[in-house]
Amino acid sequence: MLRQEINELLTQTGPKTPMGELFRQYWMPACLAEDLPEDGCPPIRLKLLSERLVAFRDSKGQYGLIDEFCAHRGASLWFGRNEEGGLRCPYHGWKYDTTGQCTDVPSEADNSTFAENVKLTSYPLVKIGDLLWTYMGDPATQPPFPEFEFAEVPPEHTYSSKRWQQSNWLQAFEGGIDSSHVTFLHSGGLKTDPLFKGAKGNEYNLNDTKPFFEVADSEGGLFVGARRNAEDGKYYWRITPWVMPCFTMVPPRGDHPIHGHFWVPIDDENCWTYSFDYHPVRPLTLEERQAMMDGHGVHSENIPGTYRPVANMDNDYLIDREAQKRGELYSGVKGIAIQDSSLQESMGPIVDRTKERLVPADSGIIKARQKLRKAAIELRDKGITPPGVDPAHHRVRSAAVVLPQAESFLDVARDDVRVKPGMPVASV
Amino acid sequence: MAVETNSVSSCARAATAVEARFRIDRPIRPARAARIIALDEKAAEVARDAAVTEWASARFLVCEGVAVGGGLAVGDFFLRGIGGEPAVLDEVLAGADVVVMLATDDSGAGCAYAVGKACWERGIMTAGLVLDQGFGADEAVAALRPHARVLLPTADETDLAELLTALRA
Repeated sequence: MLRQEINELLTQTGPKTPMGELFRQYWMPACLAEDLPEDGCPPIRLKLLSERLVAFRDSKGQYGLIDEFCAHRGASLWFGRNEEGGLRCPYHGWKYDTTGQCTDVPSEADNSTFAENVKLTSYPLVKIGDLLWTYMGDPATQPPFPEFEFAEVPPEHTYSSKRWQQSNWLQAFEGGIDSSHVTFLHSGGLKTDPLFKGAKGNEYNLNDTKPFFEVADSEGGLFVGARRNAEDGKYYWRITPWVMPCFTMVPPRGDHPIHGHFWVPIDDENCWTYSFDYHPVRPLTLEERQAMMDGHGVHSENIPGTYRPVANMDNDYLIDREAQKRGELYSGVKGIAIQDSSLQESMGPIVDRTKERLVPADSGIIKARQKLRKAAIELRDKGITPPGVDPAHHRVRSAAVVLPQAESFLDVARDDVRVKPGMPVASV
Repeated sequence: MAVETNSVSSCARAATAVEARFRIDRPIRPARAARIIALDEKAAEVARDAAVTEWASARFLVCEGVAVGGGLAVGDFFLRGIGGEPAVLDEVLAGADVVVMLATDDSGAGCAYAVGKACWERGIMTAGLVLDQGFGADEAVAALRPHARVLLPTADETDLAELLTALRA
């Protein structure tokens, strides 16, 4: 349960809100690199943290993320012509470069300096891995580039996708650190999904439906350990890292690629779910990559040309009651990603947390909310940089390990949850 | 692909901000009869601070371990209310549905084991908060691990109130 004012604090991410200012301390995914595939390609519309923007890649290959609307009369620059080092508004021809600087106002005299005084809000946009990242905060405090492992391995080792989720970011993110739902909601996928099935760890998952949890602080956020019984007096641990504010990883299964998410607010009632898979020590196989493109694992099958899933709230997520009855799909909804989104969107655009009835097993969520609230308030009141900004905090991995019962997962698996370039993940 | 968009029970109708105004709005009763048991003296101070707040049904206690040779076996202990009055574990746990154990060091390991075991036998949910204030609480963590379904080994003092608030204790 959260008080209404705290729920509002955590869910509102527009400009000048405490949580919005917190998000603006971080580099975040703005879009997929494939959205701007070549120099001079068409611009795309983006809304991030309730700000409407356009992203474009100019004729020289420079990326730009600027205010969507022309400074002249407010026309959308999504209609702009991407030509010769800038984006030109087709209404009256005003032209902007990737920094938002107006470079041409055709109606002015040839030697006019008027354009020099016109500049749209702009944010940096850089390609790291499969994503284009932006930083929407004060340029004076721009942190170093992010160093998440999925974005740093060779291109053939990694795959990223995104989908539009019609809910506030927080309820989407909270699913990412809620390990206990896997045994129920995703139980079908553990047996059949090509990116999940076959791992020894799946048996532990399915055989022990009442995991124990340990929630421990990390430099950048939390580690949430879920413990299940294994054989010979040992425990099977699934360790989920969260890096503030919205990066989570799913514990691995066997030699399958390791995956995770970013949950990025579009506005207060929508978010982007970025999903990635990577393997630190080998390229993804053609079959794995195809499975990801087909919407298996943590990815989704989207309506062609869009990032809206084919199964969405308008069609009841194509629920299959017969498959539910047969036990193939626990909720009747197909696919890990849509199983999550269907339930998270069903909560409403912004879930009313004053009506929740949390249980101790939700301690990861309780602790994460506490850390977000504290960080937002400390930033607002004292200017303290929040956890997760430092790239060193990004170098974490999830892990799935079998440990003796007496061992602490963080003591024994300390190295397993840190990035070791070129070394395999700890997985069962 | 054929898509049915006119289903009467469509989630689309249940997931708009407008629709949310029509959800049943009825007072929620406290969900948990919580018992908070401090396992050592520093934990007791934290529990006393938290007990000042008005809770719906939470009851705060302190567990005092007994040294071997005191006529009781290892794991035996005295239980007191936060005001010092004696308490009996059986009675404390009657009607409880969650027990939150608090530890700051290893001295309460025996109590943790005994309380955890008693809760386990009664089907009572357990949570352990180890307020690691630099005194070393590895044994407390180890003792709590088998019996606390949820363990926060790096908790701070505010975690207790946060957890109890979230649980509507």
